[in-house]
Amino acid sequence: MTSAKHGYRLAAGGVIDRQRAVSFSYNGDHLRGYAGDTLASALIANGVGVIGRSFKYHRPRGFYGTGMEDPNSMLAVRDAYGFEPAIRAGQVRLSEGLEACSVTGWPSPEFDVAAIAQLASNVLGAGFYYKTMMWPNWRLFEPFIRRSTGFGRLDSAISRREMHHRHEVADVLVIGGGPAGLTAARQLAHSGLKIVLVDDQPRLGGALLWEAVSFDGVPASEWVDRTVDALKADANVTILTSTMATAAYEDNAFTLVEQRADEHGVRAEHHWKLRAANVVLATGMVDRPLLFADNDRPGIMLGSSVRRLIGEFGVAPADRLTVYTNNDSGYLTAIAARKAGIDVPVLVDTRPQGQAIHAAAAEQSGVRCVFDSQIEGTSGYKHLKAVTVRGSSTVESIRCSGLAVSGGWTPLIQLAGHRGVKPVYQERESMFVVRAAPPGWHVIGGAAGSLHLTTTLAQARAAASAIGSDRGVPMEQGADVSVDCMSYGSISPQWIPDCGARSRMWVDFQNDVKVSDLDLAARENYVSVEHLKRYTTLGMGTDQGRTSNINGLAVMAGLTDRTINAVGTTTFRPPYSAVRMGTIANRRDGDLHQPRRYLPAHAIHEKLGGVLEDFGWERPDWYRSNGADRESAVEAEMVAVRNHVGVFDGSSLGKIEVTGPDAGLFLSRFYVSNMATLKPGGVRYSVMLKEDGVIFDDGVVACLGPNHFLAGPTSGNAEAVAGWFEQWRQTEWPTMRVAVAPVTANWASIAIAGPCARDLLARLEPDFDISPEVFRHMQVREGHVAGVPARVARVSFTGELQYEVSVPSRYAASLLNTLLERGSGLTPRAVGMEAWLRLRLEKGYIHLGSDTNGRTTPLDIGMGGIVAKRKDDFLGKRSLSLAFATSEEREQLVGVEAIGGTLQAGGRILASGHERTPCPSEGYITSACFSPSLGKSIGLALVVRGNERKGETVSVFSDGSIIRCRLTSPTFYDAENKRLNT
Amino acid sequence: MIVIRCPYCNEQRTEEELSYGGEANIVRAIEPDTLSDTEWTDYLFMRNNPKGLLQEQWCCAAGCGQWFKIERHTVTHEITEVIRFDQQFSCKKDS
Repeated sequence: MTSAKHGYRLAAGGVIDRQRAVSFSYNGDHLRGYAGDTLASALIANGVGVIGRSFKYHRPRGFYGTGMEDPNSMLAVRDAYGFEPAIRAGQVRLSEGLEACSVTGWPSPEFDVAAIAQLASNVLGAGFYYKTMMWPNWRLFEPFIRRSTGFGRLDSAISRREMHHRHEVADVLVIGGGPAGLTAARQLAHSGLKIVLVDDQPRLGGALLWEAVSFDGVPASEWVDRTVDALKADANVTILTSTMATAAYEDNAFTLVEQRADEHGVRAEHHWKLRAANVVLATGMVDRPLLFADNDRPGIMLGSSVRRLIGEFGVAPADRLTVYTNNDSGYLTAIAARKAGIDVPVLVDTRPQGQAIHAAAAEQSGVRCVFDSQIEGTSGYKHLKAVTVRGSSTVESIRCSGLAVSGGWTPLIQLAGHRGVKPVYQERESMFVVRAAPPGWHVIGGAAGSLHLTTTLAQARAAASAIGSDRGVPMEQGADVSVDCMSYGSISPQWIPDCGARSRMWVDFQNDVKVSDLDLAARENYVSVEHLKRYTTLGMGTDQGRTSNINGLAVMAGLTDRTINAVGTTTFRPPYSAVRMGTIANRRDGDLHQPRRYLPAHAIHEKLGGVLEDFGWERPDWYRSNGADRESAVEAEMVAVRNHVGVFDGSSLGKIEVTGPDAGLFLSRFYVSNMATLKPGGVRYSVMLKEDGVIFDDGVVACLGPNHFLAGPTSGNAEAVAGWFEQWRQTEWPTMRVAVAPVTANWASIAIAGPCARDLLARLEPDFDISPEVFRHMQVREGHVAGVPARVARVSFTGELQYEVSVPSRYAASLLNTLLERGSGLTPRAVGMEAWLRLRLEKGYIHLGSDTNGRTTPLDIGMGGIVAKRKDDFLGKRSLSLAFATSEEREQLVGVEAIGGTLQAGGRILASGHERTPCPSEGYITSACFSPSLGKSIGLALVVRGNERKGETVSVFSDGSIIRCRLTSPTFYDAENKRLNT
Repeated sequence: MIVIRCPYCNEQRTEEELSYGGEANIVRAIEPDTLSDTEWTDYLFMRNNPKGLLQEQWCCAAGCGQWFKIERHTVTHEITEVIRFDQQFSCKKDS
């Protein structure tokens, strides 16, 4: 693959470390580069020409740029720490043992079978899939199209990269460590301001690393080193290299992605959130392509990229390089190439003349310059062989293996765009710039469109001074440095050449959008820049149109007789460059996704063989000590509760103390039932609503004393209900004499349920009377149980006699142990969540969120009577008389019994008169289980007009089959409540 | 990112530490039963959505837990006033 006509390493030059060779592989071939190389520079130095294939036509493509502007060099890359499924070669620093693979082209980018698509290019124009493939049916073509598009390879291997979230607040954020950013940071340093300087490259200096510049007579690199040393001497300056500012948000908040690399690859990644009072945007600019026929051949590259390859990496992209330009920076490329010993047969300038000083310098280094000329076409399939140059009266063919193009400059102002800035087109420099920067921002240097280094430095000093006086810190006046370099000069753009086929002029290399596609879009009136983008896919590739957008919209402006400014740019949205989802998720994965909440008696549950599940808390779903598998254990646990006694840990249940003279009145405003009439020792079950009348939570409220209540919201809503109480207390009823204190975690609650529950409780020797005629259902007692302070509520979720014993959390384990130890003869069993929920289902009690949904009101679950009795107001009450709540067609809670078959939660009830799907549905099964007590499959359901349909037989579509069911009352077990009142 | 200094605990809090409570000054009627359906549903659902200044309520959720009010520009996110819940906006604007 290596041959001199492709790229090669120069004998000298660059800032790479030629003492440190680095070996890596590309598609299995073992290659070598140097420390300081990017993967792109190392591949070019090794003579790799075709790096990928284009998206649509599978045209061979080479390196077009050296950084993130390159549309072509997407590769899958693995280093010692992780894997990138698709990343530009120019964004990867070479590390020892790195493996890179093509992600486009099959079997290889060099030889790609699908390149046959080019033969069909006539029918693959813009929007072809909306048109060509509509007949006979798009679905016929879809599988083929899907297979042939997209790229990137997934790898399920877990990344070993260390991930961290970092948060920082700074006085000044300087984005870009080139001459502009360095100068601004240097001047602000040692002023006491906290400064963060970020640059996406591992080494500061920006274009100074490769452009021919000297400062006060010394090479720019020395000036960079001195400046960086001065910055490092200030402890208030943080320098983040290899760090991309990915997004800008309001209040000058930014996200940054910092990569920390060692010789084996990217070892760690830090995702920063940073806020700054002032921002210096010094992100520079990027070269633009020129449009001409067959401008996409491998070997054609941006001029600035050629200079960077030579200057930073000591790599020549070709041995014979033609230069094509419409501005003076092309001359810099020709001169740099000549200095590196590359043959430059001709510099083609579209303008009648170049700036005198540039032209003279080029000719002095032996470059022939031709003016008023254009490239009409190129030849060479997998690598450039020659270009055809058409002058005003001549046509000549120039043999060359490389072509450097420069179509003008595009300032990198995407971050300002994230803040809503609309870029404005500046005719003279042919570029979009920021006119009105966001508050606190200073846009300087290339990002501000500066084409002269002296202007850039002056802008940087001015920005620093402005920030200094803004912030009231004294600032020494930075000394003027004398700079010796050539400017980027002037430009006169010619967007489309007069010669060459428009159907062979590529605007977007990655997505294969050609000038002819823009012609088509204009003809079909997709002339808005946003429509143009979607219709043609211009700028929709992974490079987000960094090189293509301006050319595309300039062509559209010409086609529709508008100014470029009137066409405008598409909207820039975060992120500026691709950020992996894993970087954003960062460490919030697996065990670190969110904190696990453990019951206070967790160790006992583990000892009992509790199979833990995450219900917001880690709770036992069932216990291995009760059966070999889930079903048999759950049944044993249910039977224990029904026949003798079960012990259930309900510590996660919400507990909110509400105290004060107005506590009862306060609670009454939330619950459907009147809590103000609750006497000390009493307990009441109810639901609470949001103002729209929909059930928000349910639970019991216990009255512990005259001004002292304990509300028991569901486990899942414990925090939300406490917040809801507090919001109303503060915002609407600030004069009520009431205090709200969430105490969920302070108390452990163990429920004892079953016919023997009282006997078991008695063995704990409570210091209060628990005889049935004294301590009745729906009552609460405070005292001591097993010698520790306890609150015992006699409430039932299972339909059996049941006590909930609450003790301070630290006694949870000993209470649970004591219950199981002292229960000999009563055979108490630990009961898990599943058995508990099935027991309440047999009883027909609702499980909030399962048997209620975002529309369910108390009227739908049989609480209409309680609502009707309430004379005073409560939250949501007014909504219950709105038409939606009183409608005849409400889904109401009913019981369901299967007549043969097994019910499953989620099963849909078919509308009356329908026996087959698809058909309308009249509700669904909200909970279901097999009931050991009843010996059949039962469930609860929300069914349209359910209340009046009890006894009716319906069909239920359940997991693919249709079963017959009878609608019943929701209460399947002990409808007379004899058992819980025992 | 929105950053607000809580008028109660006097700490600077970022958006992530606060919770948003929607438009401020939506007053609940003392006797909702006396309202027409339209008046009640207006109270429930109708909110101002200006392109400009909006008075809203926030809670210092990860801080002191207090509710307070601010006036915020919905386009720029500039916060022009922060007051305790029992205070009145100095208010050029009545939204």
